[in-house]
Amino acid sequence: MFRMGTNDHEAIRAVLDGDKDAYGVLVKRHSQSLFRVAFRITRNDSDAEDVVQEAFLRGYRKLEGFESRSNFGTWIYRIAVRCALDKIGGRRRDDSSRVADETDPEEEQVQVADEGAGPDRLLLSGEIGSMQEVALRSLTVTERTAFVLRHMEDCTSEEIGAALGIPPNAAKQAVFRAVRKLRSRLAPLRVNR
Amino acid sequence: MSHLSQKELIEQYYSKESTGVGLHIEDCAECAAAYAELESDLDEMQFSDPPARDAGYGERVWQSLSGSLPAYERRKRNWLGIGMMRGLSFATACGLLVAGAFYAGIIWEQKHQQPTTTAVNTSPSAPAQEHPAPPKERIVVVVLSDHLDRSERLLVQLKHADAGSEEMLSPLRDEARSLLAANRICQQNMKQGDDPALATALDRLDHLLAQLANRQGGLDAEALSQLQDEMKSDSLLFEVRVLRSRIPDRRPAMSDRSEGGTI
Repeated sequence: MFRMGTNDHEAIRAVLDGDKDAYGVLVKRHSQSLFRVAFRITRNDSDAEDVVQEAFLRGYRKLEGFESRSNFGTWIYRIAVRCALDKIGGRRRDDSSRVADETDPEEEQVQVADEGAGPDRLLLSGEIGSMQEVALRSLTVTERTAFVLRHMEDCTSEEIGAALGIPPNAAKQAVFRAVRKLRSRLAPLRVNR
Repeated sequence: MSHLSQKELIEQYYSKESTGVGLHIEDCAECAAAYAELESDLDEMQFSDPPARDAGYGERVWQSLSGSLPAYERRKRNWLGIGMMRGLSFATACGLLVAGAFYAGIIWEQKHQQPTTTAVNTSPSAPAQEHPAPPKERIVVVVLSDHLDRSERLLVQLKHADAGSEEMLSPLRDEARSLLAANRICQQNMKQGDDPALATALDRLDHLLAQLANRQGGLDAEALSQLQDEMKSDSLLFEVRVLRSRIPDRRPAMSDRSEGGTI
C-alpha cells in the first residue's frame, strides 16, 4: 500500500504493476494545482472540477506512455490545460454566442464577442474586476490560456508552449497579443483612475 | 537612441531579469515611463482567485475516479528478452570455457615439449640439479653407479690379468677406452659438485684408464705390472668399491650436454 510519502515515480511503477490504489496518491497530491489552473482557464467552478477528473482519467490511461525522466506534476498539468481547452471549446460550440468581428487571422480562431456590459457601465458600477474578467474573455483561447499561464501561473514560454502544443516563440507571441488587447480594453479604467 | 518596443517591455516585465532591456530602461526616461505604465497596468490585473478547495478535495476526486479505473495488469516480464540474455550468457560461458581449455592445452604442451632435464648427481647426498638444455642438444646420461660398477670390474680384471694372454688384454683396452670417455664426463660434472673424495678417485681412475687405453706399443708384461702396482698403491679398487657402495642405484645420476651416445 502506498502512502503520501511515496514519490511520484514509485507510485507510477506500482500502478503499472497492478496496484490501482497507488494512483490515488498521485490524485490527492496534484488535485489542488490542477483545479487552480483548470479554473483559471475555464473561469467556472463546475467546469474546473470536471477538468480535474478528466485530466486524471486521461493521465491514468496514458500512464504507460509516461516517461520516467519526466515530472509527473508537469505532465498531468499539461493534460489538465488541454482538458480545460477542450472544455472551453465544447462550451463554445454549445453557446449560441455570435462571432466577433475581431477574428485573429494568425490564430485562425474565432473571437468570442464580449456579451457583457460596456466599459462605461461597468465603471459606473465600480465593478473593475468584472471588467477585467470580460476583457479576459474577449481574448482567443490561445491568448487567454497563454496569458493565464504566464501572468497567474508563472509558467515560462517553454512550459506554455508545451501545454498548448505550440512552439515557445508562438507562446510568447500569444502572451504579447493578450497583454496588448487587455491593455487596450482596460484603457478606460486607466483614464478614470 | 531607439526605444524599446512593447514586446520588449512585456518580456522584461515577466522575466524580471537584469538584461540589456533593463539597463536601457534605467537610462532612457521615455522607455522608463512606458515601462512604468505597463507595469502598473499588469500589476492591477488581479483576477479572482480560484475558489478554495478543502483538504479532502483530492480524496473526493479519487473516490469519484477509482471505480471507473481498471487496474493495470501486472507488467509481464519480457521472457523472450530474458531467454535471449540467458542464451547469450550460456554461449559466452561456453566460449570462455573453450578458450580456457585451448590456452591450458597450449601451456601444457609447451611445458611437456621442454627438453628433458636430467639431474646431475655427483654426490649421493647432494640434490639433483636441473639443467635445461637446448632442444637440439643430445642428452647423454651417465649413471655414475654404472660407471663405477664397470670401473670396478675393469680393475678386478686388470688385477688378475696375465701379461701373456692377448685375448684377455685386448678387450681390457677397449673397455678402458670406453670407460675413459665416460670418466671424463663424470669428471666434468664433478667440477660443479662438492664431493672431493669422488673427484680424486675419478682423477686417479682417469690416469689409469688413460695409460691402459693409450699405452704406446700395447700392454706388455712390464707395463701391465706397472699398472697393477699403481692400482694397488693407490688402493684404487678399494676406493672405487667404497664409492660405489655409497651411491644407491638410482637414475639419472649424471648428465652431459656434449654430443655423444648413451654410455
